[in-house]
Amino acid sequence: MGETSVVQKVADEIRVLSEPQGAAPPPAVSVAGGPADTAEQPDGGLPAQAGASSGPSRPAGAAMDPGTNPATSSAPNTMTSTATKAAEPAVSPHPYASMLREKRLASEANGRARRETLLYLDGVTKSFDGFKAINNLSLVIEKGEMRAIIGPNGAGKTTMMDIITGKTRPDKGEVFFNGDVDLTHHDEAAIASMGIGRKFQKPTVFESHTVEDNIRLSLAGPRSVLEALVHRKDAAERDRIEAILETTRLTARRATIAGGLSHGQKQWLEIGMLLAQDPELLLVDEPVAGMTDAETEETARLLREIARTRSVVVVEHDMHFVRELGVKVTCLHEGSVLSEGTLDKVSADPKVIEVYLGR
Amino acid sequence: MTRSIRWLLVGLAVLLFGAASASAQESPAEPGTAAAAQAAGSAATSAAGPAAIVQKFGGKQSYDETEAVIIELAASGDEAVARALRALRDGDLYWRKGDEAVFIGKRQGDDIAIFDPMTGEPAGAVPRGEMEKVRIKNSIRNAVTTALGSLTLRADNPAQRMRAADTLFSEADPEMIASLGEAIAAEEDTAVRARMQEALASATLVSDLPASEKAEAAKILAARGDRESLSMLTRFAGSTDDPVAKKAAETAIVAIQSNIAFWNQMQNVWYGLSLGSVLLLAAIGLAITFGVMGVINMAHGEMVMIGAYTTYVVQEFIRTSAPGLFEFSLLIALPLAFLASGTVGLVMERFLIRFLYGRPLETLLATFGVSLILQQAVRTIFGPSNREVGNPDFMSGAFDLRLMSVNWNRLWIIVFAMVVFLALLAVLNKTPLGLQMRAVTQNRKMAAAMGIRTPWVDAMTFALGSGIAGIAGVALSQIDNVSPNLGQGYIIDSFMVVVFGGVGNLWGTLVGAMSLGIVNKFLEPYAGAVLGKIVVLVLIILFIQKRPRGLFAQKGRFVDA
Amino acid sequence: MILARFLGPRVWILVAVILAAAILVPLANLWLPADHPLHVPSYLVPLFGKYVCYALLALALDLVWGYCGILSLGHGAFFALGGYAMGMYLMRQIGSRGVYGNPELPDFMVFLNWQELPWYWTGFDQFWFAALMVMLVPGLLAFVFGYFAFRSRVTGVYLSIITQAMTYALLLAFFRNDMGFGGNNGLTDFKDILGFSIQADATRASLFAASCIALALSVLLVGWITRSKLGKLMVAVRDAESRTRFIGWRPEHVKLFAFTVSAVMAGIAGALYVPQVGIINPGEFAPVNSIEVVVWAAVGGRGTLVGPVIGALLVNYGKTVFTGVWPEGWLFILGGLFVFVTLILPRGIVGTIDHGWDAIRATRRARNAEKGEASDSEAAGDPRAVANPAE
Ligand SMILES: Nc1ncnc2c1ncn2[C@@H]1O[C@H](COP(=O)(O)OP(=O)(O)OP(=O)(O)O)[C@@H](O)[C@H]1O
Ligand SMILES: [Mg+2]
Repeated sequence: MGETSVVQKVADEIRVLSEPQGAAPPPAVSVAGGPADTAEQPDGGLPAQAGASSGPSRPAGAAMDPGTNPATSSAPNTMTSTATKAAEPAVSPHPYASMLREKRLASEANGRARRETLLYLDGVTKSFDGFKAINNLSLVIEKGEMRAIIGPNGAGKTTMMDIITGKTRPDKGEVFFNGDVDLTHHDEAAIASMGIGRKFQKPTVFESHTVEDNIRLSLAGPRSVLEALVHRKDAAERDRIEAILETTRLTARRATIAGGLSHGQKQWLEIGMLLAQDPELLLVDEPVAGMTDAETEETARLLREIARTRSVVVVEHDMHFVRELGVKVTCLHEGSVLSEGTLDKVSADPKVIEVYLGR
Repeated sequence: MTRSIRWLLVGLAVLLFGAASASAQESPAEPGTAAAAQAAGSAATSAAGPAAIVQKFGGKQSYDETEAVIIELAASGDEAVARALRALRDGDLYWRKGDEAVFIGKRQGDDIAIFDPMTGEPAGAVPRGEMEKVRIKNSIRNAVTTALGSLTLRADNPAQRMRAADTLFSEADPEMIASLGEAIAAEEDTAVRARMQEALASATLVSDLPASEKAEAAKILAARGDRESLSMLTRFAGSTDDPVAKKAAETAIVAIQSNIAFWNQMQNVWYGLSLGSVLLLAAIGLAITFGVMGVINMAHGEMVMIGAYTTYVVQEFIRTSAPGLFEFSLLIALPLAFLASGTVGLVMERFLIRFLYGRPLETLLATFGVSLILQQAVRTIFGPSNREVGNPDFMSGAFDLRLMSVNWNRLWIIVFAMVVFLALLAVLNKTPLGLQMRAVTQNRKMAAAMGIRTPWVDAMTFALGSGIAGIAGVALSQIDNVSPNLGQGYIIDSFMVVVFGGVGNLWGTLVGAMSLGIVNKFLEPYAGAVLGKIVVLVLIILFIQKRPRGLFAQKGRFVDA
Repeated sequence: MILARFLGPRVWILVAVILAAAILVPLANLWLPADHPLHVPSYLVPLFGKYVCYALLALALDLVWGYCGILSLGHGAFFALGGYAMGMYLMRQIGSRGVYGNPELPDFMVFLNWQELPWYWTGFDQFWFAALMVMLVPGLLAFVFGYFAFRSRVTGVYLSIITQAMTYALLLAFFRNDMGFGGNNGLTDFKDILGFSIQADATRASLFAASCIALALSVLLVGWITRSKLGKLMVAVRDAESRTRFIGWRPEHVKLFAFTVSAVMAGIAGALYVPQVGIINPGEFAPVNSIEVVVWAAVGGRGTLVGPVIGALLVNYGKTVFTGVWPEGWLFILGGLFVFVTLILPRGIVGTIDHGWDAIRATRRARNAEKGEASDSEAAGDPRAVANPAE
């Protein structure tokens, strides 16, 4: 009940807010599916922070909408598509993320290709003993979008991921996934099953298992204990594993105990485990820390490849890497968004230079 | 490094000073005991007098002669003779035909049970024929009453008058009403007067005075509010017919009952604090090794045990070579116990625990092994049975605080626990060693990079925690059996305290220990000691469910690791 | 058969040895004449039976500790509860042959002037019911305890300490006379089991065989669990609990499953133990007993199937021998074992051998990989690897 009404609210707001914009469509040039389109966004499309302070109850999402909507989308269209969503089973924590993705692909094929918010954070605040690690943070990730997040140490990047993945509960604010799933009401396992995968800052893999077993344990599928007890390996599973090993270039190491991998290989294995989960959204915390330049380049390629079918949020300090990704960048500082836009724009922002890049 | 050592010494000194001041406070008690001894001595010398006078009742004598003896006794001013006088008044004073020795007698069929007239101690039973009663008549009775009154109620010493009033209160003797009235009129000390009025009230209740006066008396007793008043009033309420007096008595009974209930609770709180301080002592070392360092030391209880055995050895040594030092045995044992347990801890840390940092489960097992070895070693050296550790004078006995009884040893242990706690707090928060300890335990690598010698700090911290367990052992030797199992009894409780209070926080340990102690003692009357303990354990287990990090959880990210 | 490949030859050898013992020891006791060199004297049969029960208990602990990383210091409690359930059945079988000859009440109840059997004793005159309780009571306790503990994410030493507190609380409780379990003295003076005299050689031999069969079945069960995907998940939970959570598993369910299964196994071990030693008393709940089990598993090698069995047999045999020679010395030895096994032999006997073997295999595999041969993934899917604690 509560969730449908939330959806309704979203629908109303989107309608109200998109009407005036619909009258004067923004000059954005959008290329569906590719991340590069954000590169040309006008200033009006980067409102998250300004909007956060004064906008209506969901400023970020609302403000984002006009900026990134393809010019073709009109108000009634928005309404119907959201309304259709609301008509679906209200709670969508479907355990099989792959099915979610199929659904999404199907809906894209239907020609109603439009981006919907996949992840929606609004006014999120979290303090530890009075220290505000996250302060009124608002952030929206579209479906299929790849986003890079930068920011000085302690800016709250990891804490933000903790909040999205249910490890930390925010003091206040809203965190929605897929439009209508309130993530603050779910725990880590449930959120992971919904299709949010996470790579930790410090690579964590199952050190005493082989690479292959690491991936097998992460494969999307039922998560019940009894199923695991009677689980039989089958061809489909083998193929999936094979494919992931291929993608992460670990085929030759499949039988190696993960504890014996190099640091970079562990990072890749962890990304492979993420892929195995078949998530809609990947949160990747500092994937290239401790990698050589070549490895970094490889990782960037891998992530771009992944981002073709999924949404990805990458936290990274390595500016070359971020440039390589070539996506929209959000700079966090003291728990809230400092600047957002193309890398060039963000790195030209005097505030960012001041707190992060240095002169 | 030399600086750190100096600071460790300062820490030690603080602890010792704490201990010293704890026992320095004993000095007011010492003059007290000395005075008591003096009083006892003088009583002994003059006791020869009154006892001899009492013997004058023996043999055939005239009423006048008897009266003269009474006056002589009254003149002695020694209240010890009151027993004999009352016996005389009640016709219970006898003399033996054989040697004219005087006894208090109680008829028991054909025999008379005899008691010493001064002390009231039983002296056997003799056939009735061998005893002769000291004859009395009314005038003698009056003389005795007057003598009793002046003897005790009019004594010069207020303490003595107080005691007289107390005795009279318990005796509730209607015959004394008149003397009491006079004494009250003459009394100047308000405390004594109040006590005398209570004595008067108790006598009034059993007298044949009018009901209205008895009702007044009931009120006075209600104000006194102890168990004795309660039983007097209950008896009175059962026997009186007068509705007013009965009503007054019943109101008084209710008042007293709630008063007693209150003091029962206070007594429970006291027992709880006492148990809590014992738990605190046992757990406080653990709060360092487990709480601050994160080393789970299952041999902690054995450190306590080593401290207790050190006390035993010190006392044995004193007994054989310097008996005069017995009163100071605990004081001597404290630093030795600290050193003994601290050394064992140091050795453990250097040769075992340091190889196991970061592997808590292995540490648990290895230290458990050490605890088995230490126990068995002590059992082999000292034998499996309990060893006798004596209480110095200032640790023995008890006193009453209103309706509550307070044991000296428990009181000192509470004081001692607090001193140790505060000293430790100071060491941790105010000394460089404490600072280094906290630095090392929070971020070992960083601390090492800053030039702190982490292995040294680890060793010192562990030794400190163990040493404190040792001095806890000195205290526990005063109230518990000193046996090889001593430590085992405390280890689970100690862990519960630390876990309950919250790891890494001394205040949590304090609050944890005290609340566990009090809850335990409050549950005991309802559930019995064993069941109470079980309930507490279950409660803690449930509590850990709710707050896995304890009452005063240490905050921050690293605890998630 | 898949299971055969699945478990590996060593486990099958173990099972075969256990089953052989189940047959040979009774035969050697009952059929060989007393002067035959291979004759097993009657007093040894229950002693061996005891060892086998201990081995089963160690295996149960290994499932939670070795594979799931839960160091339970309270497994003695499950063992004792199973033992008490069996003891209650045996008490009821005494009938009117007790000292007081009361057909309804066990002696200690008559002694305490109880008028009727407490409600929780009903049903224990039936073997099937007692057998059910042997599994149900420890299982249920473990389930409830584990549910609360794992749900609130109590882990590591905290968990160890509260499991120890649990067995300590039960120890105190069972010491009480009014609990209705015989207080200090416990349950003893048993006469029959299933109508056979408990003293008879044949009964004892059968009990020994039953213990062996239970152990063999448990080895297979634990083998099946740990070799399954669930077993891998357990190890994953042991090594990186929060990671499993972030890929969608619920480690608390995994742990609860392992803990409950393990408690049931411990209960069965206790139930087989009691008729062989002829007594169950609250002493079995003593925390020291539970912690001793840990050392058996540690000596043999936790996280292996064979290790705990070997460890339990070795340590207990050592204990029997040693207490005969130098009774006071045993605790020194035991304490020393704790230190030795954590400091010097953290993988235990079997684990150390395995590790050496694995190292050899790894180098060989590396050489093969160099030659460009794709390595056999099946052979490598071996869950025996224990995280190297020395690192
Ligand atoms: N559980 C916690 N308890 C206390 N403080 C915390 C906790 N988690 C995070 N913080 C604090 O919140 C702030 C943000 O931390 P966070 O890890 O999110 O930063 P970050 O942006 O990821 O930094 P880095 O680039 O170094 O990874 C830090 O100051 C950190 O100390
Ligand atoms: Mg971070």
